[in-house]
Amino acid sequence: MKIIKQAIAGTLESSDLMVKVAPSDNDSLDLVISSEVIKQFGQQIRLVVLDTLAKLDVSAGSVIIEDKGALDCAIRARVQTAVLRGAGSDELNWEQLS
Amino acid sequence: MKLRRSMLFLPGANAAMLSTAFVYKPDSIMFDLEDAVSLREKDSARLLVFHALRHPVYREIETVVRINPLNTPFGLKDLEAVVRAGVDVVRLPKTDCAADVHELEAQVERIERACGREIGSTQLMAAIESASGVVNALAIATASKRLIGIALAGFDYCVDMQTERGDGSELFYARCAVLHAARAAGIDAFDVVFSDVNDEAGFLREVELIRRLGFNGKSLINPRQIELLHNAYAPSEEDVDYARRVIAAAEAAERSGLGVIALNGKMIDAPIVNQAQRTLQRALASGTRQ
Amino acid sequence: MSGEFDFYTVVPGEDQAETAEIQQFLSQCDLEMEGNIDLFVLAREQRRLIACAGLSTNIIKCVAIRPEYRGGAISLQLISEIVQLAAERGDFHLFLYTRPSGEAFFSGCGFYPLVEVPERIVLMESSPVAIQRYCQRLRQLRQPGAKIGCIVMNANPFTLGHRYLAEQAAAACDWLHVFVVSEDVSLFHYADRFRLVSQGLSGIGHLTLHHGSEYMISRATFPGYFLKEKGIVDHCHTAIDLLLFRQYFAPALGITHRFVGTEPFCQVTEKYNQDMKYWLQHAPSTAPAVAVVEVERCTQQGIPISASEVRRLLAVGALSQIKPLVPPSTLQLLVSDYATGTHG
Repeated sequence: MKIIKQAIAGTLESSDLMVKVAPSDNDSLDLVISSEVIKQFGQQIRLVVLDTLAKLDVSAGSVIIEDKGALDCAIRARVQTAVLRGAGSDELNWEQLS
Repeated sequence: MKLRRSMLFLPGANAAMLSTAFVYKPDSIMFDLEDAVSLREKDSARLLVFHALRHPVYREIETVVRINPLNTPFGLKDLEAVVRAGVDVVRLPKTDCAADVHELEAQVERIERACGREIGSTQLMAAIESASGVVNALAIATASKRLIGIALAGFDYCVDMQTERGDGSELFYARCAVLHAARAAGIDAFDVVFSDVNDEAGFLREVELIRRLGFNGKSLINPRQIELLHNAYAPSEEDVDYARRVIAAAEAAERSGLGVIALNGKMIDAPIVNQAQRTLQRALASGTRQ
Repeated sequence: MSGEFDFYTVVPGEDQAETAEIQQFLSQCDLEMEGNIDLFVLAREQRRLIACAGLSTNIIKCVAIRPEYRGGAISLQLISEIVQLAAERGDFHLFLYTRPSGEAFFSGCGFYPLVEVPERIVLMESSPVAIQRYCQRLRQLRQPGAKIGCIVMNANPFTLGHRYLAEQAAAACDWLHVFVVSEDVSLFHYADRFRLVSQGLSGIGHLTLHHGSEYMISRATFPGYFLKEKGIVDHCHTAIDLLLFRQYFAPALGITHRFVGTEPFCQVTEKYNQDMKYWLQHAPSTAPAVAVVEVERCTQQGIPISASEVRRLLAVGALSQIKPLVPPSTLQLLVSDYATGTHG
């Protein structure tokens, strides 16, 4: 998928996360994670986000994560929602989303 | 026999609730994609619920999802998501007639085929929220083998009836109609949400009423209501005692090859045995009434 | 359903009673209802107003929460709502001002500090990387030299006065960076202003022309600049804009000198120039000082050339009087796109 416009998904509430995506200006993937538990879980969050993006075939874009202690399933859901909104797509390819 | 005394409603857009609700032990958990989710968040909630359903913590508990009506831009996508994610029961809101159920069933089967899910494994529940629905309750309740129950939804029903929620008299006929339809069809009947979470006495009065009427369970919006409800549905010591003796008599009759079960000189037929089994099941689930 | 608060959006002024209620609520929380607020997000429990937050394009203002609810979930819900509302309106990059005591709260809401006027006010933005990325892009445009100059101009429209200032600055430096204020609220649209600057500066060597940004004399960083007509001058806002320049953009480009024209007419611009001398040169800061050079405005028949005078003449249709004040490229645009009246 190609991120063609800015989009956000999620909330700042506890156990959730806010995901902001934007088109890339240099054709690369730029992931920034902000979390109160970055030391303990930063790496894990990163892996889940990258995996989610890879399954959606997102290779370029700016992705900023504001994590509030979300579980993996919330991370996947919010990242997917933001990407779909940013791609202007509502085509749900369930293999890519699983 | 699946116990369905308590069905806890969770708003599908709330990541915190979806992440933590499995610690409560209602008989069923219902993820709501319909009224509890704003238009702006329909897509987001759908994916949250999709992923929550696939999480191991929700495997052991019966999952229900209230999808949006199929004639909205959201309903079909919701259905695709939740059937694929392995939901146990799909709850259809605003069911007015049997055709609504048929339409849902057709779509569910199509999706099961497409994703390789065992055909028939997705069960259904119909929510009745209007005068038409109440009047068509029997047709709805018998519309599909996949139906595990029908539920009365109070708020929208009262609006349709041009009245408002009050002491319960406004729901009297609807409750009876839904109940009778469910019994005639051999499926469960569920009562409305009690929305004042601070009025424990009022909640218990309503639970007592619907339990006596014969409802299998009730929709809940607050985890605090779960234990109250389970306790109200728990059989008394005497009930349990009697139920044990009925079961013992049935087993004895089977062993001795007698065609008839007798207890205290009276004949006990199948419905009484079933009732005894239900009683013991409830006792097993939450003890006897405190 | 579950969730105890009702969130909804109101336009200030639409419902008198509700607007008055918000005003009173704000003053109970020691805040004033600011102007220019497009929308408020309100949170009510039953009918009671518990919290509010205002949005003025991309700036969050007037955030107030009842004391007994602070630190609870509602704070995060409120900010989530307003961020999502702004996103629906197309604003993904948000700013807010807060007292230093409020910084921790907004940090927990995904806002990051940019600059602080010590003990007075902090400017925050809704991204952990936006300003860093901007500076990175600026660094690509660095030029070698010991004396690197900078001019920030609104050029509303570009006049011979602007040209003169740029010529003087370029002559005094190894390289000159010129920024055009990009906030699009002036008489002349940004696209036109930028084009006129570009045309008007042609021929001056060792010069880079930059597009402005949200960080440089924008509604977010210096709202008072755009309320000049009302004579509103705000101490802290000039500081914020200038500190951003000194702490981020000057180091990124290696700027050592900032050039401005003397300001005989506009009170706000004059104050800005004076503040500039303080904040860029004297105020304590970890960032190196930037020298401020005030260049005497060039004159036309003894009168300093100014864009405000050009606008005044344009309004009365005195195009012939404008001619000696502006380069031909500017005059051409005035005639074709902005002329009013019939006298020439």
